[in-house]
Amino acid sequence: MTRVNERPRLWFVNWPLVVVSILLLAAGSVMVQSATSGMTGGSALFQRQLLGIGLGGVFMIGAWAFDYRKFQGWTGPLLILDALLILSPKIPGLGSTVNGATSWLAIGGIRLFQPSEPAKIVTILVLASVIASHKGSIDKPSDVFKLVGILAVPLGLILVQPDLGTGMVFVAIAAGMLLIGGLKPRWFAILGISAALLVGALFGLNSVLDKALGKDVLIKQYQIDRLMVFVDETRDPLGAGYNLKQAKIAIGSGEFSGKGLGSSTQTNLRFLPNPHTDFIFAVTAEEFGFFGVIVLLGLYLALLVASLSISASSRDLFGSLIAAGLIAMWIFQVLENIGMQIGLMPITGIPLPFMSFGSSFMVTNMFGIGLLLSVWTRRQGIPGI
Amino acid sequence: MRLPNYQQQLKGRYAALGVVVIVVLGLLLARLWSMQVLNGVAYAKQADKNLTREVTTAAPRGRILDSQGKELVTNRATMAVYVDASAKGDSALLGRLATALNIPLADVVSRASDVREQALAPRIVAVDVPMAAVAYISENSVLFPGVEVRAQPVRVYPMGMLAAHVLGYIGEASQSDIANAGSTAYQYGDLVGKSGAEVQFENVLQGVRGSNVYQVDATGKIQSLIKQVDAVAGKDVQLTIDSAVQAVTEQALAQAIDDAHKSGFPAAKAGAAVAINVKTGEIISMASLPTYDPSLFLGGISEKNWTALTSKDSNYPLTNRVIMGQYPAASTFKAVVGLAGLEDKMLNTGTTYNCKGVWTEMGEQWKKYCWNHAGHGVESFTTAIRDSCDIYFYHLGYLFYNDGGEKLQAFARKFGFGQKSGIDLPGEAVGRVPDAAWKAAYNQNYPEYQGWNPGDTVNLAIGQGDLLVTPLQLVNAYAGIANGGKVMKPHILKAVLGADGKAVYEYKPEVAFDTGTSAENLAAMKAALVSVTRSGGTAYDAFKGFPVTVAGKTGTAEVAGIDDYAWFVGFAPADNPTYAVAVLVEQGGHGGSIAGPAARQIFAALLNLKIEHVTATDVSR
Repeated sequence: MTRVNERPRLWFVNWPLVVVSILLLAAGSVMVQSATSGMTGGSALFQRQLLGIGLGGVFMIGAWAFDYRKFQGWTGPLLILDALLILSPKIPGLGSTVNGATSWLAIGGIRLFQPSEPAKIVTILVLASVIASHKGSIDKPSDVFKLVGILAVPLGLILVQPDLGTGMVFVAIAAGMLLIGGLKPRWFAILGISAALLVGALFGLNSVLDKALGKDVLIKQYQIDRLMVFVDETRDPLGAGYNLKQAKIAIGSGEFSGKGLGSSTQTNLRFLPNPHTDFIFAVTAEEFGFFGVIVLLGLYLALLVASLSISASSRDLFGSLIAAGLIAMWIFQVLENIGMQIGLMPITGIPLPFMSFGSSFMVTNMFGIGLLLSVWTRRQGIPGI
Repeated sequence: MRLPNYQQQLKGRYAALGVVVIVVLGLLLARLWSMQVLNGVAYAKQADKNLTREVTTAAPRGRILDSQGKELVTNRATMAVYVDASAKGDSALLGRLATALNIPLADVVSRASDVREQALAPRIVAVDVPMAAVAYISENSVLFPGVEVRAQPVRVYPMGMLAAHVLGYIGEASQSDIANAGSTAYQYGDLVGKSGAEVQFENVLQGVRGSNVYQVDATGKIQSLIKQVDAVAGKDVQLTIDSAVQAVTEQALAQAIDDAHKSGFPAAKAGAAVAINVKTGEIISMASLPTYDPSLFLGGISEKNWTALTSKDSNYPLTNRVIMGQYPAASTFKAVVGLAGLEDKMLNTGTTYNCKGVWTEMGEQWKKYCWNHAGHGVESFTTAIRDSCDIYFYHLGYLFYNDGGEKLQAFARKFGFGQKSGIDLPGEAVGRVPDAAWKAAYNQNYPEYQGWNPGDTVNLAIGQGDLLVTPLQLVNAYAGIANGGKVMKPHILKAVLGADGKAVYEYKPEVAFDTGTSAENLAAMKAALVSVTRSGGTAYDAFKGFPVTVAGKTGTAEVAGIDDYAWFVGFAPADNPTYAVAVLVEQGGHGGSIAGPAARQIFAALLNLKIEHVTATDVSR
């Protein structure tokens, strides 16, 4: 036991995670700088991004220093916090509507942050707290329904915003955590099929209502088109279809070695919409080609492997579940963000972790890194911390 | 109290999460490999297309020059405003456009909704747009969606309406023009020849479009010019038309119509006149009345103007009557009939016939009259032509009929009647030489009219009946008589000129019809035609005092229900024929008094003589 205590403190830091995070943040900063350099106010945007990283660093160190175990058992307060975060933009005088979704918290017209971002972390903590109490085996229907009920609170609230993308992230987080938390495989099947039937029924009801009343009732046709564009680009040729087409041209035309940093013609000539936020990957793929894509995906692989190892080495199930939730969040966001730009996934506005412009998002991701470091540092076999 | 090795229990689940991570990243990588490595080149091409816009520039059309090198049609550069075909319903847009261009809204609307051309082509709303308006429209492009300003060469007619029918007019390329363009690639909005020389020599006049390749941003705003290929101007076309003679020809024809009005033929409104070089077939002047202003078509003719030019009341000014008008030749045909009689030995130059004013060879019930009811008395071959005696030719026609064959028709066809001359202008009419087969076919639903009767040949012998000729066919036939029996192919193209002004192609004269007529018979006919302009001839008044001997023939064509058509056709100098001229005035009365004096003026212009307007009397037919 004494040997352990003699180890240098730095050993308690998961260096692979720290290094890969720094590399991803650096890559993101370079790409945001490149994407915004041709815009009016581009340098201000870049400075805001650096500010977000700095703020994220503060949150990261805070989360690392904080003993994550103290969150366990706070299920009730965390759930209330979660609901408050998600609902806060709906409170008159506090919300701000951007691109059709009231998802920003604003005071006096100044946009502060998107509460749905920290809500992801809070949701992870809530679910980890509840799932951990089942000690690695969830099979009783009553337990399953309880979990679904708890997830339904943030998910339901986020869907009425409406923010389909974030809703999908919540589902992915829950799925990843239930996997590690010991939900029996047949329940995955039952829940999956039920969700599919529910969605199918919703769309069915929607089309019946639309026909009966002769207008869009539940889901607007443009929303369906926007979602289905990845199947058929012509469904929304001036909106999502245009974006998808331009993103694909940007990515494909990067070819193997790319056009070089700052030489994205799709960005510089403004064919690519929002190149610094949702479409930052297209800029990266155009400027650095397939080679750059391998490096970037390699960094994500390293991030996820490091996170998996932290999850696996956690001293308690609560820590493992927090890590699993973050892994699920990141892998889904990478899949959805890159997938929507290459025609594999529906187009929803989900940013790319550590790469896309956006402070709320950056702080959330870096807070997640801090949580992972906290789990690692306090892992099994290292007493006294 | 700690869970014993619970990580061990979860191992399989971590593996599953790890597999999800690997599968997701692998899927993305595979798709990106396919896009960037396998299909990267195709996407790169799309990206290039994204970044560049090719804007083609119109090539100036070649000029059209007269035989002396004077410009009949040329170009100047101007700015034109186009509007997308879909804009016709956007009244707010058209209103802004009318204000910006300072032209009446009604004009903008009518041009934008012009239906004559194909559906999708942009419509020209205005040409010669001032730079201030161009700048305003360009700077406020958001206000003018679908509106385009293009630099455009515009046709200029330095001599106004001169030779309008020969030159023709231009218009926007139609769908069929674009489809059938052949070697020339047209775009919507391109200006192409629509009639006359403009369309006949389209492949020479039309140049090659230039192209500017610009880098543009997503809004289509030009960032820089990447590549520029200058347009190649079309080649110049030199015509055989002499603008000075052309001007005289047009004036003479207009004056003839004026004369007709003064001499009691108020319905005279239209006519045709043509001058040709008998040795080469060069058309030296070609006039048709009423005429039109080809500049009306610039920038797209308005519907109002188009209606005015194509309505019945307008007397169809777009029709070139020299080649498209079909008329009874009347007495001018007697020269052909006379020659046929000599060649086919139905008579000889010594044959005489006593004209008593009435002719009954076909029987009393079928008696026919000479235009001179008093009778000419004994007419010889020459005096029959000089006096335009109908009865002499009734008799000759009857001889042809009794001969049994259709020698008269066959002879007429040898001189080009009933067929196209092959002139290098579009729209030439065929005319008609009636024969038994034609008549049977023409009256297929009326069996009682199908038979060919003696009267048919007799009528044909004085150029009436079912005979139809164009003024061009008639002048060609006389040119053939003048040119030793060889009818040259009439043409208006003299040369095609390269950019340096040197000819890259020169027209070589061709024989259109070699009639094989004997020199002896031709000489007899020439002598007879000379007597027409001499004392006692039907055109004596018209050519009295003319210093050069003219051989010719008057004609007064009868058209059922309306006034007679006046003809004169002839050639000069009679001893060394160089030029042939035909003049026709629809409902103008008598050939010798109306058409003859006009022909005199045209001959004077051709022969560099003093141009005098004479008044003449003639009562022959």
